[in-house]
Amino acid sequence: MTVKFLSLAIKALKQTIRDRRSLFFLLLFPVVFMVIFAFAFGSPSSLGTGTAPHEIAVINLDQGATVSTNNTTQHINDGASFTQLLENITYAQTDTHMFNLNNVSSDQAQTMLKGRALDAVITIPENFSQAVISLANASARAETTSDIGLRVINGSTAQLPVNTTLPKQSNVTAQVIVEGDTGSSAFGAAQGLIFNILEQYKSQIQATAIRQVDATLAQNQSQSNASIDYISAAVQPLTGARSLTLFDYQAPGLIVFALLMQVSSVAQDLTRESDRGTLGRLKLSNMRSFDLLFGTLLTWIIIAVAQILLLLGVAVALGFEWSGGANSIGLAVLVGIIGGIASISLGLLLAAFTTNERQAAQLGVLIAVPVSFLTGAFFPLPNEILGTAFGTTFQVYDLLPWTQVADALRQILIYGSGFGAVAVYVGFAIVLTAILFVVGVISYSRVRLRPE
Amino acid sequence: MFSDVRSMTEQSSDYTTDAYALEAQGLTKRYGDLVAVDGLTLQIKKGEIFGFLGPNGAGKTTAINMMVGLLSPTGGVVLINGQDRARVPKRSIGICPQELVLWEELTCAENLIVMGDMYDLPRTVTNERVRSLLADLALSEKANVRVSQLSGGMKRRLNVALAVIHNPDIVVLDEPSAGLDPQSRLLLWDFVRSLKNKEGKTIILTTHAMEEADALSDRIAIIDHGKLLQFDTPGNLKKTIGSGDIIEMQLAEREKNEAVMVDLKAVNGILEINEASGKITIRALNAVSLLPEIIERVDATGTRVSDISIRENTLEDVFIYLTGRGLRE
Repeated sequence: MTVKFLSLAIKALKQTIRDRRSLFFLLLFPVVFMVIFAFAFGSPSSLGTGTAPHEIAVINLDQGATVSTNNTTQHINDGASFTQLLENITYAQTDTHMFNLNNVSSDQAQTMLKGRALDAVITIPENFSQAVISLANASARAETTSDIGLRVINGSTAQLPVNTTLPKQSNVTAQVIVEGDTGSSAFGAAQGLIFNILEQYKSQIQATAIRQVDATLAQNQSQSNASIDYISAAVQPLTGARSLTLFDYQAPGLIVFALLMQVSSVAQDLTRESDRGTLGRLKLSNMRSFDLLFGTLLTWIIIAVAQILLLLGVAVALGFEWSGGANSIGLAVLVGIIGGIASISLGLLLAAFTTNERQAAQLGVLIAVPVSFLTGAFFPLPNEILGTAFGTTFQVYDLLPWTQVADALRQILIYGSGFGAVAVYVGFAIVLTAILFVVGVISYSRVRLRPE
Repeated sequence: MFSDVRSMTEQSSDYTTDAYALEAQGLTKRYGDLVAVDGLTLQIKKGEIFGFLGPNGAGKTTAINMMVGLLSPTGGVVLINGQDRARVPKRSIGICPQELVLWEELTCAENLIVMGDMYDLPRTVTNERVRSLLADLALSEKANVRVSQLSGGMKRRLNVALAVIHNPDIVVLDEPSAGLDPQSRLLLWDFVRSLKNKEGKTIILTTHAMEEADALSDRIAIIDHGKLLQFDTPGNLKKTIGSGDIIEMQLAEREKNEAVMVDLKAVNGILEINEASGKITIRALNAVSLLPEIIERVDATGTRVSDISIRENTLEDVFIYLTGRGLRE
């Protein structure tokens, strides 16, 4: 005796494999998308421009410095000043801030950066204030010595102030790290702005130092440049030496897109069963609701696995920077199955209320495609933060299980992360999928599996 | 005339409850104000072929769907082998719906195997049933052909095979021969008769084809507007509209039909006279002996008979008599 749900799963698999339209929709359609996106976004993109605030986080490690002036001692933190500058600065002739500073920890910033919730993370080093003082002193020394030299040449040394002393030379250097995904256009634009601002900040420090010297020596002098680069900035790619492209971000999203296509196919298949009367035939037999639902689940999980493996293979062949080995594939498949079950659940819900195959197919696509965009499958979405939990910032889109699956797949496939790193995503994906599954099963069972 | 159908059916039955394969008691289905089935009460004997006749929209399929459990009745009870239908194993009933209910992407054998699995048949039993059913319905050569590639007649035969794959005691065939060519219809009739004669199954047959109902049914129920109008053997049903034969006559001049009909009413032995589609239909006792007088009277009216025939009462006459001639959808 054959187990009924297994018999139904085999039946549905045969039907799907023999239906060319269905195969095209489930496998070829996402593959075509993958190819198009690989060609369009497979190379590092040009820097974007615009006047929208960039989402950044500043990790200020600056210890500050103590400065003595006119017999008073003052503790300063130039890292904080620079952070304030970033927060306040606006685009020219607008009130729009260049940056939206996210107040998060270093670890949270890393997670958000990987999920493209942040465009860049700026790390200000411990000795930033010391380096600022070095830069200011060097500028002051240069200005003072230059001024004295001029007076010597002009034979007017008698006019020198009595207490003229040269500032101490410390030669402390510091490097501000601007971290981000070098394949992201948003990061490209953000880091360009940050570099410019840092240069202006340095110029201001130098100009201030020179003004103070000139005030003391009562003489105007042109600005001089320090020969040592006391403060520099360096770009640090997000994942070591690798340069990610937008396609690397999109490839896991396209796998989720394929899984979402199941919504339409599942709804269509189940509606066809009731529309053609075969469901009525099955209901007259010893088949239980469990057999049909579990058989359906099994069929579409197998199809989901095929989709994930096929699309990953195609993505890698097209240049997707895949990290991790066989384990990452195994983990990606397991996570993908959760997304598949979410799609099946939504398919069940649609099948409960659609009256014919065409309606189910159209409604399925009408829902699946916008949801694909909402999960960030194709492009990162603007921040719509709901709140923070478990050390993670949650956005409106995170209420969709597919968003969690897409984020987890990116972590696993791009960064080679293990289960620990994606446990929060997986946990939420399971909870949200379970809710959707219960709703789908109850709706379908009540509407379709009971006598009319 | 048919106000006490129930008492009539009870009188015609000398069976005990155990002898009934299926009983409907006061079966009712309402959709808002529409009463699709109105207090239907009937008993179907074990091992008989029961014909269920009625015009389109009479409530036949609704009644059958309630009997087999696809539809919840608004009122009434269905007993199968004397037990409440809900308690009876599902495998006791097999239904062949009016529509083709098949998985088009699967082969004939795969369709049957899926349903065998759904009824928990061991695979060896299923395989044997598949082989014999396909052979009986002349589909052996198509066992491994996808349903989408079959002709309409083949699909209809497979539709019947799916209803009996699990060897049920009661088989419901809803318009099984609709759209079939004459060869396929005769093959199907033989198959239905063999289900009764060789396997002792109870068969409930709904059909529009009076010839089919007459040829196959042991007893027939005629239903209209959800109500049972008449329920008896085909022979007895034909007697209910009266004895005598039917004379069908066509005049050379149709406009004289009315005058001829008025004149013929005076003839002794003529029980009923009607006109339909230009033809005059006369029901009469000793019809053959009346023919000379009828022709004489027609000639006297100033016209002549262009065509005349005598036939026995048919089930169609009964059906039309009971349900009316008006076409309804």
